Amino acid sequence: MYKRKTSISTKLVMRYILVVVVLALFLFPIYWLFVTSLKNRVNAFSMPPHWIFIPTLENYVHVLLKTNFLSLARNSLVAVLTNVAISMSVGSAAAYGISRFKVGQRNLLFWFLSIRMIPPIVASIPLFLIAARLRLIDTVVILPILYLVLNVPFVIWMMKSFIDEIPEEIEESAIVEGCSHLGVLWRIVLPLVAPGLVATAVFCFIFAWNEFLFAMLFTGASTMTLPVGISSFIGQEETLWGYITAAASLAAIPPVIFAWIFQRYLVRGLTFGALK
Amino acid sequence: MTTLSTLTKARCRWLAKLGSRQKRYGYVLVAPAVLVLLLLTVYPSLYMLFVSFYDWAIVATIPRRFVGLGQYLWMVRDPDFRGAILVTVIFVMGVVLVEMVGGFILAMLLFTDSRGIRRLRFAFLIPTIIAPVVVGLTWRWMLSADLGVINYLIGLLGISKIGWLAKPLPALLSVMLVDIWQWTPFTMFIMLAGLESLPVEFFEAAYVDGASPWQVVRYIILPMLIPVIIIALMFRTLDAFKTFDIIYIVTRGGPAHATNVLSYNVWRKGFFENNLGYAAALSVVMIILATVMTQVYIRVLTRVRRTT
Repeated sequence: MYKRKTSISTKLVMRYILVVVVLALFLFPIYWLFVTSLKNRVNAFSMPPHWIFIPTLENYVHVLLKTNFLSLARNSLVAVLTNVAISMSVGSAAAYGISRFKVGQRNLLFWFLSIRMIPPIVASIPLFLIAARLRLIDTVVILPILYLVLNVPFVIWMMKSFIDEIPEEIEESAIVEGCSHLGVLWRIVLPLVAPGLVATAVFCFIFAWNEFLFAMLFTGASTMTLPVGISSFIGQEETLWGYITAAASLAAIPPVIFAWIFQRYLVRGLTFGALK
Repeated sequence: MTTLSTLTKARCRWLAKLGSRQKRYGYVLVAPAVLVLLLLTVYPSLYMLFVSFYDWAIVATIPRRFVGLGQYLWMVRDPDFRGAILVTVIFVMGVVLVEMVGGFILAMLLFTDSRGIRRLRFAFLIPTIIAPVVVGLTWRWMLSADLGVINYLIGLLGISKIGWLAKPLPALLSVMLVDIWQWTPFTMFIMLAGLESLPVEFFEAAYVDGASPWQVVRYIILPMLIPVIIIALMFRTLDAFKTFDIIYIVTRGGPAHATNVLSYNVWRKGFFENNLGYAAALSVVMIILATVMTQVYIRVLTRVRRTT
């Protein structure tokens, strides 16, 4: 008995070591990105690399104060938050309709899924021509509109999976008790799906925050978002790696924090609500 | 007793009404989403089909010329398109294969009750969650020939410097590696979720009956994971098929078109070479390919779900 126990614990230790080694390999690029952002120019470009050095925040100070980083971040926030608000209301309403009133059956749902699967570059060719004719390129409204393609199907699938989990009997008895349809939605369904709503909104935020292709094609100097702005740093001299890594690290923080807080819903969010 | 029967009666009445008024309520709820998506996907698709029959430059002053199926006929002979197909097939099949196998192995490694290991799970997912632009920039920096840490690290092993992004084959392998790094945690997470939904008694019973770990994996775990594996496959195949950001940031489709995947090819033809008609024709082909693949996966998935 005693012997068996030790063999199990050595197995666990072996597994631990293996997991930590694999994790270290996986996270090395992240570590390297962050470490480069803390190096001054001399350290960043020294070869062999300096593993031990005095960290400096000069890259961050430069990026925040002397580049357009803050206005890029503001553009991103405006576009993303506007889009999340619209996507959530349009998508959740549809999800409720599909879940409770069986509108459109399976075909409608799979149409939404197939929109998710279409390559964005494909959609961007005609949308670009239409947006150009409507003079919407480089305006604050274009990205929130375009990101509806990304997020509305996602919200519908996610919210449907959350609403499906609420037993329908609760709503039925509320109606029998004399509650109106809107009252049911507002007083009963909404509080019950609140965690799901927040999690879905957070995923929408992450997707739109990270989006690059639409942002690159449809924005100009005044509405450029963070991913586009950061990528344009690279067009300049190759010597800007300190600034690039600092800006990239800053841009990576919101998604990581949000995903960490909502990790319970990550599998569902990453699979369109298909897996829980 | 009485309350129960009145409730049931009321419920019956409620359900009876469901047919007419309720359904209308449902349509009103779904309508905005359907309308928005029709406007943003179906209408543009039809417009794109229209554009694909023309010679169409971005600049509005250049006259448009109707060419019928000309763009499609050119596609058959276009060496760039052929190259892009080949690169995309290699890219998609390569990364999906590695991500599925690697994801499964990682999932088995992390599939344990140990609380410490469970806490480390989230850290694996960081590459998947951060922006592709950030991922691309990070790897471009690490893969840089003279200043990159990767050439330094392989130098420690006695391997001489490789111009990762300067030669065709290393460049293609590099962008594939980036995709694998970014998305293997995704397949791992999906398979972990699948593993955890399996009844533990199955494995224990098999072990008691003297099955080897390999047999348990081969004959019990893998067959039961098939629905989850198909979901992971579907997402990974179609997302790899639409890869653009990483290519744009890391290699710009080069060198010598070695990483010119279909998505990037459409961008280059349309927005770089100013030939929107041809880009539209290429897009039509891509939409068809993506839709067919999605349909196949959905069919397989519904069939598998029915039988298991």
